[in-house]
Amino acid sequence: MQDQLSALLAKAGTELSALATRPEFEAAKARYVGPNGALTALMKQMGSVPKEQKPVVGKLVNEAKTQLQAQLDAALGRIEAAELAAQLGPAVDPTLPSPDRLPGTHHPLTLVREEMTRILRKVGFTVVEGPEVETEYYCFDALNTPADHPARDAQDTFYLPAAARVGNVSKKNPDEKYLLRTHTSSVQIRTMLKGEPPIRIVSPGRVYRRDTTDATHSANFHQLECLYVDKNVTVRDLKALLDYIFASLLGKDTKTRFRPHYFGYTEPSFEVDLSARHLPKVNKEWIEIGGCGMVDPVVFKDVGYDPEVWSGYAFGMGLERLAMLLYGIDDIRYFYQNDIRFLRQFA
Amino acid sequence: MKISRNWLQAYVDLAGIADADISRAITFLGFEVEQVIRTGAPQLDNVFVGEVLVRNKHPNADKLSVCQVDVGPVHGVKTIVCGAQNYKAGDRVPVALVGAVLPGNFVIKESKIRGEASSGMMCSAKELAIAEDAAGLLILDGRPELGAPINAILPPGDVVFDIEITPNRPDCLSHLGVARELSAWFKKDLAYPAVSFTPAAVSAAPRTDLLKSVRVEATEDCPLYTATVVTGVTIAPSPDWLQQRLAAVGLRPINNVVDIGNYVMLEYGQPVHAFDARKLAGAEIVVRHAVADEKITTLDAKERALTAGMLVIADAQKPVVVAGIMGAENAGVSAGTTDLILEVAFFKRQSVRATSKRLGLSSDSSYRYERGVDVHSLDEALHRFIDLILAHAGGQVAGPIHRVGGDIPWQREITVTPGYINQKLGFDIPAADMKAAFEALELAIVREAPTENQGPSWTLAVPSWRDDLDRPIDLVEEVMRLHGTEKIPAAVVTAPGLVGNDDPIVLFNRQVADALVGQGFNECVNYTLRAGKEIAAWAPAAVVADLALANPFVEDQSHLRPTLVSGLLESLKLNQSRGVAASHLFETGRVFVERNGQLVECVAAAFIIAEASGERTWRTREPADFYTAKRHTETIAAAAGIELGRQPTALVAAPALGWQEGQAAAAGDIKHGWTATFGLLDLAHLKSLGIAGKVYAGFFAILPERLTGEGTRRRYQPFSLQPAALRDLALVVDNAVSAAEVQKTLAKIARAAVNNAFALEAVNVFDVYQGKGLPEGAKSLAFSLVFRSAERTLTDDEVNAVFTKIQDELVKTTPYQIRK
Repeated sequence: MQDQLSALLAKAGTELSALATRPEFEAAKARYVGPNGALTALMKQMGSVPKEQKPVVGKLVNEAKTQLQAQLDAALGRIEAAELAAQLGPAVDPTLPSPDRLPGTHHPLTLVREEMTRILRKVGFTVVEGPEVETEYYCFDALNTPADHPARDAQDTFYLPAAARVGNVSKKNPDEKYLLRTHTSSVQIRTMLKGEPPIRIVSPGRVYRRDTTDATHSANFHQLECLYVDKNVTVRDLKALLDYIFASLLGKDTKTRFRPHYFGYTEPSFEVDLSARHLPKVNKEWIEIGGCGMVDPVVFKDVGYDPEVWSGYAFGMGLERLAMLLYGIDDIRYFYQNDIRFLRQFA
Repeated sequence: MKISRNWLQAYVDLAGIADADISRAITFLGFEVEQVIRTGAPQLDNVFVGEVLVRNKHPNADKLSVCQVDVGPVHGVKTIVCGAQNYKAGDRVPVALVGAVLPGNFVIKESKIRGEASSGMMCSAKELAIAEDAAGLLILDGRPELGAPINAILPPGDVVFDIEITPNRPDCLSHLGVARELSAWFKKDLAYPAVSFTPAAVSAAPRTDLLKSVRVEATEDCPLYTATVVTGVTIAPSPDWLQQRLAAVGLRPINNVVDIGNYVMLEYGQPVHAFDARKLAGAEIVVRHAVADEKITTLDAKERALTAGMLVIADAQKPVVVAGIMGAENAGVSAGTTDLILEVAFFKRQSVRATSKRLGLSSDSSYRYERGVDVHSLDEALHRFIDLILAHAGGQVAGPIHRVGGDIPWQREITVTPGYINQKLGFDIPAADMKAAFEALELAIVREAPTENQGPSWTLAVPSWRDDLDRPIDLVEEVMRLHGTEKIPAAVVTAPGLVGNDDPIVLFNRQVADALVGQGFNECVNYTLRAGKEIAAWAPAAVVADLALANPFVEDQSHLRPTLVSGLLESLKLNQSRGVAASHLFETGRVFVERNGQLVECVAAAFIIAEASGERTWRTREPADFYTAKRHTETIAAAAGIELGRQPTALVAAPALGWQEGQAAAAGDIKHGWTATFGLLDLAHLKSLGIAGKVYAGFFAILPERLTGEGTRRRYQPFSLQPAALRDLALVVDNAVSAAEVQKTLAKIARAAVNNAFALEAVNVFDVYQGKGLPEGAKSLAFSLVFRSAERTLTDDEVNAVFTKIQDELVKTTPYQIRK
């Protein structure tokens, strides 16, 4: 018996170490420990072993069984390792670039707009939108722009034909013309007409001027306007907002200053200059950045707010101009060409 | 408007105030200073008139001369080495003597040049800073006195501020107006010009042969007209001071009468006009509207056709002035003129503006009328005009002042309190400062009364030239201006909690942009206005016509865009033509589409994926196809709260408008609020655009009012922890039948077979096959059915029973064949 077991183990050792695949292994395993396996057959002979020899033979058989199992495990381990190794290619060259697409990019105007609205949200402004096709009332009349004002000229403002009908842009007066809004201030009017004060909104959006396209002018561009209406809003509050915006955007040492100016829908009105360090391509101490003022009582009256009760301020600026200033871009047309080499610079 | 510092000095004493401080004052009074220009000669000490007595060649240098220069009896004759070539003995030139400091801090010293002593320098116009460039010495004409200080010969220095006058302040389109502002800022007195003429003082006999009467027919457009005759004038150059002031602000001096007219306009802001009285036919001036086909040749030598309604000043035969804009060449003052008619009038701004626009002709005069002139200063300007004519052109007033038109009443009072002003400002300015500001701006306090807690109540009389001041709030600005807007004290923003959410449009755009950027797309921004022929590929002809602007500026920006795709293709083309790799582009923005016969403004998003990205990589990735475009479009629609996968989707119907038939699909309809199209773009169209390779795209548009922002909060759905049972089933169906239809039918049958015994979790297509082994015109769709119970592990038997039932039902009730 002992000889038989030894011979079996020796044979198994040779055979199992030569196995390369899982089916071969399963077949081999069956040959030894399967129902008709060689070891199984030897174990069946245990019944004919004399009683007094049984402990000795039993021990021998168990030892052989353990050794065989170890051989099987080793063979299986080897095959599994080989299987995993087969899944791998040669070592990678970690210096090759990824062939996958580069990440996408937000447009710089989006980045600047989102940064501004984030800053404004922190002090309670919510973002509103309005139609880009507007009517004379919302774009001019309600903003105290008289009928003969040059800004309303067909020379400066795009109009739709008199017969045009725009289903989802409401007219105040049936005979007024549709136009492409020249500023986002029209959104202020629509917001005030729709809701009750207090109001604290920011309206970014696309506006249109009938202008020659060059490095600083574009037939459409983007503005961002803030409107705050409440009780006892003051010039000082307005200045505080501007200081806050530009300190948030450009650092604590940024300064703003007001210069008196004229806008039909604010009184008093100011132009806003800012002074900041580290702005690329800026060699002046003060740069004009926008216009602002206290909402004119005429505007309040027109939207049905009592100017004796409500006061407010408005501030507006050009987003392209801001982006050009922040990034040091010197030609507005680059925003509209979408050259990938331009777009990838800001993400 | 250009404002001369020397000229301002006539009304307000600015001596000793630096130019920069004046510039700053103008800025903070509310007028942007666009430019500060220095003209004339600066102060040049130790520079005198000298005469070259002898010019000898320098012994050691070919291009230099050694000169003897007589600098008058005080300084004597100097030896000066000079490199200029444009002079000869006998010329008089500026000589800078030792000790002179020329502009640019150039100090003149005793020196030796190539061995020859030189004590002084003969100067060019550039070296004296009176010209930008000079080819040689400044040769002085008219043999000025030897030894005279050069400043006595040269035009005096001046500083000109080019400032932008805001439309609300036409009073500052004049030196007097700006002087008034500066006098208030610097707290200096304002001196008005001394006007001596009075109508009562006219003693000469009226020359009714020259002007007998003035008739104003168009009283609406010309509320006030004044004219008078001055005879016996002599046309000559204006005095130097007047020429210098006009030249400083960019006007070319012409002759005394014309110059004085310009001078009075730039002094008062009131346009005035002088005709040659002898060139008028008849003795009556008529202010009337032009009749059709009348013509006038204006002073700029252009013949202009007038149309009915244009206001003109006419004699018995012809128009002699386009009112408020420009006079006629044939009635103007010329060298032989002796008798003048002086006109000062008030024309309605709308009338001047309309005529100016229609003729395409504007002038300093029309600019002022359009902005608004002060009719109440008209008489004073006329008298000033007459004064200056008599003083500098001679002659006498021969006749009355013809003054036609009603007196326009002016009385305006505003009542305001310091309490109100400080409340609007948000900080305190002392009442005394406010009072001083009002006085400086000639807002007289006509009444003062105490109030309970707002300080004194002031009633102020607004001067006639300040039509912009009408309400208490307008006075807040005046106080603010003179206090100084730089002095607004700092504060912190006080912000109450948010009252609302961002607009749903903002949320949509943000979500789309973030999602597509996350998928590797580059965000683009294109113009809304497109060329008509570009959008003709994207909208039916009738809609293209509706998208046209009434007044486009340029041909390639004449129409509103109905899609964002054409702009993205333009961007792709630009990158391809520049050799820049570009493949995944998107944009969000407004588009204009047709809905029920009207245009509607829609919120939209679109993307394109170009097959030929232009980028070469060492390992190729799977290219995009129709289903890539479908997935991205679903992402966009999801941002609008629309589950595109559950919406009926069909191939785009002809005409496919930019899309490739059979390779692009559409869902939704703008009639019901939104529309989506996605798939392959029309290959022929891409080819015509010169774009290389296939382009897949997706476009989604929705009515802004359909966007609702953040949807309702989702509820948690319990899910089973038990294992799933899977069964696969392949069905052979007609090619024309859509996968969605088969899936729907199968799911319905399967659900009925399960009959709520457990759950049919999913029916997913996992294979589509056409070809060998299948009948012609048929395809095989393989589905995976997922069954699961909430409580237990399903047994093979119960699942098999259901699966068999499903197959039986399919065979019985559908034309589909089960593929074995």
